[in-house]
This record gives sequence, structure tokens and C-alpha cells, in this order.
Amino acid sequence: MAIVSVYIEEGCITCDACEEILPEVFHVTDDTCFIHAEVRLDGGYDRNEGKAGLKPETLASFEDDLLDAADGCPVDVIIIVESGEAAAAEPEEAAAPAVEAAAEPMVSEPIEVAGDDIDELLSVGDRSLAILFGSQSGNSEELAAKLAKQAADYGLEGTVYDMDGFDFSSLSGMKRVLIVCSTWGEGEMPDNAEDLWQISTKSPAGSLSGVHYSVCALGDTSYELFCESGKEWDEQFEKLGATRLVDRVDCDVDYDAPAAAWALEALAALAAVDGAGVYHEDMVEAIKAHAAGDVGGADGEDGFSVPVLTAAAVQAELSIFRYDPEQASTGSDTWVCAMPGNLSLLEALRTIKSTHDGSLSFRDGAADDPSTAICVNGRLVLPGMIRLDAVAPNRDGVLSLRVDPLPGFEVIRDLVVDHWPMERRRESTEPWMVAATREGATTMQGPIGVMDPNVASALHSITDFSSAALLQASSDAVPHANGYLGPSVLASAWARRNDPRSSHSSVASLDSILGSPNGIKAETDLASIRRQNGSGVVISEALLDARTHVLEQDAFTGRHGKHVWWYAWTLKSSGKVNDTVLYRQVLGPIGLIGNLTSGVTARMMTGFTRTGGDMFYDMLAMVAPPAGFGKMPRQFNSSVENHHEVVAIFNELDGRF
Amino acid sequence: MPVKYAYHPGNVAHSSAPEVADTMDSLARALGITLVPLPGATSCGAGIVRQANRRLQLTLNARTFAMAEAKGLDIMTPCAATAGNLHEDLMTLKSDQILLQEVNETLQRTCGLTMTGDVAVHHLLHAVVDEIGLDKLADKVRNPIDFVVAGYYGPNIQQEGACGGDDVYDPNYLEQLISALGGTPVNWEARTQSVGVPGLFSEDSTVMKQAAEALSEAKSEGAELIVSACNLSHYVLDVYQGKAGRNAGLATNIPVIHLCEMLAFALGTHNNRLALLRTRIAVIGD
Repeated sequence: MAIVSVYIEEGCITCDACEEILPEVFHVTDDTCFIHAEVRLDGGYDRNEGKAGLKPETLASFEDDLLDAADGCPVDVIIIVESGEAAAAEPEEAAAPAVEAAAEPMVSEPIEVAGDDIDELLSVGDRSLAILFGSQSGNSEELAAKLAKQAADYGLEGTVYDMDGFDFSSLSGMKRVLIVCSTWGEGEMPDNAEDLWQISTKSPAGSLSGVHYSVCALGDTSYELFCESGKEWDEQFEKLGATRLVDRVDCDVDYDAPAAAWALEALAALAAVDGAGVYHEDMVEAIKAHAAGDVGGADGEDGFSVPVLTAAAVQAELSIFRYDPEQASTGSDTWVCAMPGNLSLLEALRTIKSTHDGSLSFRDGAADDPSTAICVNGRLVLPGMIRLDAVAPNRDGVLSLRVDPLPGFEVIRDLVVDHWPMERRRESTEPWMVAATREGATTMQGPIGVMDPNVASALHSITDFSSAALLQASSDAVPHANGYLGPSVLASAWARRNDPRSSHSSVASLDSILGSPNGIKAETDLASIRRQNGSGVVISEALLDARTHVLEQDAFTGRHGKHVWWYAWTLKSSGKVNDTVLYRQVLGPIGLIGNLTSGVTARMMTGFTRTGGDMFYDMLAMVAPPAGFGKMPRQFNSSVENHHEVVAIFNELDGRF
Repeated sequence: MPVKYAYHPGNVAHSSAPEVADTMDSLARALGITLVPLPGATSCGAGIVRQANRRLQLTLNARTFAMAEAKGLDIMTPCAATAGNLHEDLMTLKSDQILLQEVNETLQRTCGLTMTGDVAVHHLLHAVVDEIGLDKLADKVRNPIDFVVAGYYGPNIQQEGACGGDDVYDPNYLEQLISALGGTPVNWEARTQSVGVPGLFSEDSTVMKQAAEALSEAKSEGAELIVSACNLSHYVLDVYQGKAGRNAGLATNIPVIHLCEMLAFALGTHNNRLALLRTRIAVIGD
């Protein structure tokens, strides 16, 4: 195997032995030994831990000397890398001790990735990123910390360095550097950057020849010398031979947005520098997409290929509800634009706000922030959790979206609604656990309360809704029923009512809340809850259980109980519902008189004037009016075929009716 | 191939909505659909019976499914509430084999029937759009419904898996159908919202507001007519129209007809009823 590289492990005692044997390659510094930039393919000047290849002419001329230097090292920190080892994936394997020289010198290949495989590019070799900050007030330090965190999305291992006390000479061994530096006073360096700046001005040209960098300068335009420190660092790095990959950004006091935009460019560009220090410019766009979550397909272990999840731009027409509280004006604004289909709806709103109308108001936050919920074409969504091309059907090549605030809530401005009334309703149910004293299981740590896992799972599923506001808005009754607590409040109350840890008094109190006029009986149709969002089915079924519980507690009294009771009763009687019985039994005489005075009865009787049907559609009109007139329901139903089967089912399952 | 369904008329066609029974017969003939009656089928429970006893409603509907399976036919109904409730119970039974077995044991003991789940529930709207096809429907139109029409779906059929090939949240089958019949559809928000039928007797104040808002919105969007895919909701929107308007202080007077009525009128049956509708629209029109 041929020698391809050499590097220095930690532990050098700076004995100068190697430099004496081969000064063309080794340079012993104060605390370690570096490999000269002139002999390296990546142009770096450090211990070459990245195992960058040596130039072919160096290998051809000094192969024996390299081996001699490695043999002569008293602490064995000079490691010779041969071609087979260079291909090894694991660094530990690559870091094998020096071996005998190959019989014939060979021209080695540089250790670099192909550049067309993004996964390899972002994972193989040295992926370190040095982020140096010069800070007076802490803003640069904070921004540097954010960048380090963000760097992970680009396959980089970001390390933040305070300029104060930083070893400038170590920069020469780095491939990727970001500078974040503020300006103090009249164009002065921050205190922690001053020493490093002075050292840098004395460094020889070309000492940073293998470094790729970009600078973010923070400043204040109210000062004459705006972002001066950052500009100086930018020029100095260039002078020292470093390669600027992304132009410096000069940020004013509100630096978040420009710094964020710069970071997207700078991190992607630096991520395109491979472990050997080669910059793959053609991969920058792919890296940006990768970091944004637009990952390519991957081959599974079983050979199954995951489809590539990319989305074409969609032609979208967004009609967004607007409300200006100062002018008390409402309406909607419409934007027609082309956007990537995989953009989240929240990102689309942010884009419109940043590029078209800064006054557009909506609740922003993390993708799953429950307070961001809005309504799109009648669908209640967390906009950060849904792609633009999946939120509504694309018809005739155009995605028409009507974006509204959550129904059932007061609008503060545009899409921002007031959640406070819902929270007040929740507060009124005393939404805290009032636990009973229970027997616990004895464990090594002492007695611990236990819960049946099925019960725990059921309780969790009831309260595991993504957004209380979204669930509340899913009820079509909420906007119209004053005082109705709403599904999100009631679901939580029902879960606590069934929690075995709740005390008897708490259960009684919750039963009272659930059975109150503003409790579960105030919900007019659970179907509206069931159809919305993923948890709608579970919640609507839990609320159905709560309603059954409340009705049974009330022994099916009151209008609601009677409605359910008599509906079931008439069903048992004939297999069909008998509306006449319902009206009579549920509404009672007063309710029927109310129907007479409100015109409901008249509209029933005169139904034939609207349908064009017969005035008398049944003989009942002659013997038991008003039944048989127009749209008046029948008093008597014929039974369904094999009615006795219906009765048998009732008798077997529920003898109450 | 002839289209054939086991027919469930819903909960009101036998009583307070005789116009549904009248027009479904002629509509089926005009469309070439064979409706096989299920004379033993009970009310779907309308989501009311399950409030007393969930297993009871499931078992009653399982009996209906078993009868349709015995005929080897899918169920079709003109009522969205019935379609939604039957679909919901069918999915519940099909997704829980233990529950299905227990329900079958009850059915076997009481009726001598069992069901397998090899049946589907269709609403008239989805049967027409998905099975008949709008092109064929348009060819059969004799009396174009040349009105501005607001199509009301209600929440029951706008559930995942219950709305055929239509979108759950942003449906347009009714709008397509209205266009195919020569009408002009209206885009309105309340079309999939509940008008609170299950709470009609107990929460009438809320229900009146819900109904009034739907009626008022349809009018304000320029509709001359509302066509309802739900026979139960139609009852509230039509019979309670005046009360809802007075309670909410909104303009609510607008003709409301059933989907099967509109289809039957357009296909050339019940011309006298269509003439009456035209007159009503002309008189009411704002």
C-alpha cells in the first residue's frame, strides 16, 4: 500500500526530531507539530487530523524520510496513512500505527468526497465549524450559540469560541470559520476581540490559506462607523489568504432577520466544504434543501426505495381574512402566488408577511404551537403542521385557499383570535387535580400510586388533542351557545372525572359541571367535532360517553333526556322514529303552544304549499288532524318488517325502554 | 351495468317529508337506478339512540347491514344524517372484530342474522357523482335548474371515508352537480356546518341561531335556493326557518328543497312542483 498522508496525534512533546529529519513536511510549534501547508492538498496548516492527502511530489521525494520520521518519533504520534486505510470509514481504523514502506512510491489520491452524494458530503471526514464571536453586550455571543445549534442541520459540528484567549495559530488548521463580531463605540473592536485582532494583524499573508469563512457584522447605523469591526475581520481574513464563501452581512440593531438570512447562505456554503477542504459549490442548493427538510429518497435495508419527497411549485390563491380594530374594518385580501408545495402554511403566511404585507397579523410560533390554529377552507389546522399542497384540494390547477381566524373566538386582528374567554371557561371548571388518598404499591422507594395502564391510556387519549383552541372551534355550537363550556374544556373535565386519583368531592363537582346547562348537553351535534382533525373521533366518542353518563344521572329527565328516551322508545315501538310522540313528550303542552305561536306548526301544516305535494297525504288528516296535513309528522307509524326482531334486540340489550 | 342499491329512506321520508318518498321513486326511474327496499330496516338512530346505549344503536344498524348483505347490495340513502350514522357504525364494527363477533351473537340470537361487513353505505349525492357520472346526468337534464343554488352538505357525510371521492373539508360534489343541472352554485362556509338537528328539542335557542346563520349566509351570498343533502337538516332549515329568523334577527326566508327533489325536477319529473318552486323563488327573491 502506498503512503497517502501523514498526521500528528495528540501528545507531541515538541522534541524537534521530525523537523530535523524532514523540515519540508514537519514544523514543530510551541506545543505540537504541524504539517506544512505547502505539502498538503488541502493547503491547511495544522496537525492534519483530517488526514488531508500530501501532494504527489512530496510523497515521491520524501516517502522514506516520512517513514524515518515516524520511526524516530519518541512518542509515536506521527501516523502514516496508507491508501487502504484512507478509505476506511472509521477514524479509529484509519489511525493505525505507521507501517513499513511500500515497495514502490505511488501517486496518492486526495481524501475527499465525490461531491455528488450529499449524505457522504455531510457526514464523512472533518465536519468541524469554528464560530468566533467578538461581543460587548452579548448579542454576538448569543447569535454564535444559535449558529452552532443550527449548524447540526447542515452536518456540521459547530464549536463556539470566545475571541478572548483564542489561539490564532490554530485557525490555520481549520477549514470552516464563521466570525460574528459587533462594533463598539466609534468603530472599535469589542474588548474580548482586541487581543486576537492585534495578533491577526501580525500574521503572515497566506497563513489562513486553507480556511473558508464568512462574517456577520453587528452594528448600529446611528454611529458613523457602522459595523467597522466586522468589516475589518472580513478584510483581514482575505488578506491572510482565507476564502470568503459568502459575502459579509452588516446588521443594524434589529439583526435577527438579516443574520438569519445570512446564516442560511453561510452554513450551506461552509457545509459544502468537504473533509479535505474542497469546496463543492454545486452542492450548496442541495444542502439548503436538505437542511430545510426536503430530503431525498433513501434505500431501505430490504431494498425498498422511499420515494423522493419533493413538491413542485403550486399556483396558490390565498384569500386571507383581515380585520383592523382601529378602523373597525373587515374584509379579505387575496394574493396570487407560486410557492413550493412542500412549504408549510405557516411558512407561506410568513412569506406573505415578509414580502408583501408586513401588517398581516397571525399567531406565529413553532410548527406545533397550539395557539397558531387557524381555519382554511373550513378545515381547522395548525398551519405549521400542514403542507401548502395538502391543506385543500387543488382544482383546475389552482389552489384556492380561504384563510380565516378560528370560528367561535373573538378576533383581535386579522387571524389573531382571543383565547382568553376559553381559558376563563376552563378556569371555571377548576382544572386541577384534587386527589383522593389512595392505597399505593409498596416499592423499594416507598409507596407509589399506581394506575391501570388501560385506564391511563384511555385518559391520555381524551386529553391528547393538539390544540385546545382548535378543538374548541370544531364545535359548531360554540359560536352560538352563550356560556357553553365547549369540547376542549369538557374533554379535560371528563378525563379528570374518570381519573381514579380524583377525590369523591372532585368527581361530584365535575359531574355537576358536565351536567350543567353549559355542560355536555349544550353541544348540539357531536358530528361537527368528529369530523375535524385527528383527535376528533376520540374526543367526540369521549363526549358521547360523558353525555350518556349525564343523561343516566338525570334519569333521562329534562328535554334532552326525554328526547333520547322517547326516540329510543318509538324506535322500539315500530322500528321508525315517531316525531309526533317526540313533540308531545319532549316539548309538552307549553312547547307545543310555543310551536303554534312561533309559526312552526303552521309551516308544518302548510308544507304542501312549498313542496307541491298533497294537502292531505294521509287519512289521519280526517280522523286525527293536524297529522296528515302537509308536512305534519304522522301520529302512527306502520312497523318495520319483522318488528319482533327489533323488540328482541331492545329486550336483550336495554330493558329500560 | 344497472346500478342497484338496497334503499334506506332515512328517518323522515315516511312521516314529515313525504316529498322525499315521492321524488326518490321518480328519480330512481329517471336515472336508471334500481332501489331494492329494505322493509325491515329500522331508523339509523340519528345519533340519538347511541346517547342512551351505544351498543343498542350499533346492533340495530348491524341488523340493517345484515339484511343488505343478504341481498348482496350496498346501501343507499338520500339522507346525510342516515348515511353518516350508518357509515360510522359500519366502520366501528369493521374495525373491531371482537365487537363484531359480540354484535353478531346478539343478532343471531334475536334475529337469526349475522353480518360480515361486506357492505358499503352511499349517500345519493355520491352515488350520482361517483356511480352514474355527471356527464350522464347532464345528458338527462330536461328542466335546467337555472337558479343560484347553495348546496348544503351538513357535517354527517363530510367525514373521512363517508364522502365518496369528495374532499372532507372542502367538498364540491354538490357544486359540480348543481352546475351539471344548469344551476349556478354558491360558495358558502356554512355548507358543511351543523344546524344542530340532534339538539332541536333540547337546545332550540342555539339550534335556531345555527340555522339562521346558515340560511342568512346562503342568502347573502346570492343564493335563490338551498338544496340540502340532509333530510333531517332540511327539516330545521325549512320548517323552523321563520322562527330562526325572528330569534336571530336575520333574513332567512329562502326556499329549501331536498337533493332528491332538485334532481327529480331537473330530470323532468314533477313539473308542477318545479313550477311552484319557480314561483316561490320569484316571490321571495330579494
